[in-house]
Amino acid sequence: MKLRRVLSATLMMALATGTVACGNGATAAGTDTTEVEEAVVTEDVATDTEASEEPVQDSEEAVTEEETSSETEGIKSYADLTLGEDFTDLTAEISFFSNRTDLDSEDYGGTNWRQYMEAFNELYPNIKVDVITDTNYAEDAKTHLQSGDYETVLLIPSIDKADLSSYFESYGSLDEMSTQINYADHWEYQGEVYGVPSTATAQGIVYNKRVFEEAGVTELPKTPEEFIDALQKIKDYNNDIIPLYTNYAAGWTMGSWDDYTGISATGDADYTNRTLLHEKDPFRDYGDSTHPYAVYKILYDAVAKGLTEDDYSTTDWEGCKGMINRGEIGCMVLGSWAYPQMEAAGENAEDIGYMPFPVTVDGKQYALAGPDYCYGINVNAPENEKQAALIFVKWMTELSGFVYNEDGLPIKAGSTETKLSFDNVTFLQEAPAATGEEDLLNELNAESELNYRAGGDRRIQLIIEHASMGDMEFDDIMNEWNEKWTAAQEACGVAAE
Amino acid sequence: MKWLKSRKGQQAVIIFSFVTVPLLLLLIFTYLPFAQMVQFSFYKMKYLTPPDKRVFVGLKNYIDVFTRDDCFKALKLSVYYCIGALFQLALALFLATILSFGVKGGNILKGMMFFPYLISGIAIGFIFKFFYTRGFVLDSILGLFGVSQEALPYWLKDQAVNNWSLVATSVWRYFGQNMVLFIGAIMSVDAELYEAAALDGANRFQQFFHIILPSIKTIVTLNVILSITGSLSAFEPPYVITSGANGTGTYFVIMNEIAHVTQKVGLASAMAVVLLIIIFICTILQKLFFKYAFREADT
Repeated sequence: MKLRRVLSATLMMALATGTVACGNGATAAGTDTTEVEEAVVTEDVATDTEASEEPVQDSEEAVTEEETSSETEGIKSYADLTLGEDFTDLTAEISFFSNRTDLDSEDYGGTNWRQYMEAFNELYPNIKVDVITDTNYAEDAKTHLQSGDYETVLLIPSIDKADLSSYFESYGSLDEMSTQINYADHWEYQGEVYGVPSTATAQGIVYNKRVFEEAGVTELPKTPEEFIDALQKIKDYNNDIIPLYTNYAAGWTMGSWDDYTGISATGDADYTNRTLLHEKDPFRDYGDSTHPYAVYKILYDAVAKGLTEDDYSTTDWEGCKGMINRGEIGCMVLGSWAYPQMEAAGENAEDIGYMPFPVTVDGKQYALAGPDYCYGINVNAPENEKQAALIFVKWMTELSGFVYNEDGLPIKAGSTETKLSFDNVTFLQEAPAATGEEDLLNELNAESELNYRAGGDRRIQLIIEHASMGDMEFDDIMNEWNEKWTAAQEACGVAAE
Repeated sequence: MKWLKSRKGQQAVIIFSFVTVPLLLLLIFTYLPFAQMVQFSFYKMKYLTPPDKRVFVGLKNYIDVFTRDDCFKALKLSVYYCIGALFQLALALFLATILSFGVKGGNILKGMMFFPYLISGIAIGFIFKFFYTRGFVLDSILGLFGVSQEALPYWLKDQAVNNWSLVATSVWRYFGQNMVLFIGAIMSVDAELYEAAALDGANRFQQFFHIILPSIKTIVTLNVILSITGSLSAFEPPYVITSGANGTGTYFVIMNEIAHVTQKVGLASAMAVVLLIIIFICTILQKLFFKYAFREADT
């Protein structure tokens, strides 16, 4: 009897855990639709009430024009808002969801969230901003959106542009916002702007100046060949220094190689969002060390020639910051946002430098300047919270100094305040996709599974694996991508030229 | 009304009221989402695609699962985990048998071996990432025994070894739990049987094979089934330690990649359904096998 009891008890437990475990995968996928549906429903309700409120507002305003309280005033748009003058007595509590967990810490080298919020409350004492941060931001932000219950201000994750208006409040028309901020078209859909960039970054390579100098690299490399030579010189100078650290294991650091294939490798602002979509075999060799081919070849060659770390599978992202600061790493291919982090990671801040990506197109070097995450405002929030959110976003952009502090390129239109200096490099912004093709790149990515510029970390990791094991030639990898791209173009009905 | 007050009626009321809540939870959080997922598997859609824009594609997703080379190639990796699981069960059974015969400090040993099971999988991932890093823990320990670093492989980089490295972490984590289950079962074997067997001249091995094993066959069967199905759906070690890179992407990791990076939710759902069917088949086959293997013990 005893045995039976023990057995049945354990069996029950195992069954229970088993069903729960089986359920997990299904729940994750399953709850999504119900939640999306909910979101849609609440949105409908919201628009309904807005519509019904409007006539009431109008009539009230007509009767007592002077007595307009902040509740019936309606929302003052981003462009019309004057910071420090309008709504200084507005009371609201809003939440802000951010990816910058490092700014939570009191030990952060620059200005942290607490300090920003204190500065904000000097001007707007009654607007309380709860900052929520998350290390797994890109994924979790999407989950928050799907749940329909999300923060007042959110950094817009990668969603289809057609869905923008379901989740976010428009800041105004593109024409109007272009006079206010740079990169207004980043989250633009049908003439409305839904996102204001938190900061903007340039794409280049973060490197250790001292290591480069001591290894005898006096002039910064401008072509892939010069770059590989420079790495070789570093290796020859001191075998203990890793010339190029790939950060393979972190994953996202791999996907960011795609960011160099547009502007840096072609000098063509239209390349990523327009040309590439219609290009036949975009990953082919153009023969002049430009275009995506040249970018990925740098990685392949560096790995194949042993100019990267010994064991790529155990690279450590947090560790690499201190290593480059101490001069144990020559360079890393990362956006300029990483520059301040590398400086702050040790005592040798002045050794860290930032250089453009080593591709020269017709004698000129280019760098992509693009917005980082953009602030979006919850379209379902109450009016006063929306207004408070607008004030907060405008304050972050114009008065907080956040962009300058984080070594970004200016967001406020006409501003030139930045710590970043690239000599003789032309900054370009990527042109948005043509009308009607806003989501074509997403479609092609999903179809081809290349996930170009969209978290295609595995694809770049495979370059390193093949280069290291020597089981696949670089040209074969590129041919494979070309085939997938062509197949996706056919599936999406795109005529390739 | 009278019936409700009767003993039978009371019984029915209690059973009904106690069962409703768990059943409701099970329905809402397991069966409904599962039905949704099966529905998704017939559509071409992304997570955020509104319901009216999803395209019904019939069985295309299922055909893709069987024709794509990455889906079933990933299932081959499960063989590593299956072998690991069998090794893990054998080890657990061995230790359980020894420990249940009164070893000095047995409880401490049990506790130590059970402990890894209590650590979160994410933490284990980080521990082993550094454990396997070149020149770190494992290399240093082996170095103490005079193994030179040049003779050692790169534990996570070398594709001939890295899956075994991951399997080892999973064995390390779960064998303690299996062992505790086995000990529990062995404890319930009547001690008089050993005495009687010893009097008849049976040695320890004979006692194990003829007394212990038949007595705990149900729990052994259960553990084997759980381990094999578990290894088919291995996810945590590769996802956390290598994020499925470098030839360690198991079926689940690939499924996750397809669902969350490529956003082919329909295809990923179809993969999940196919895996479920495979697990069903495996479980039934194992059931039949054990029925056959233990056919004599039943009499």
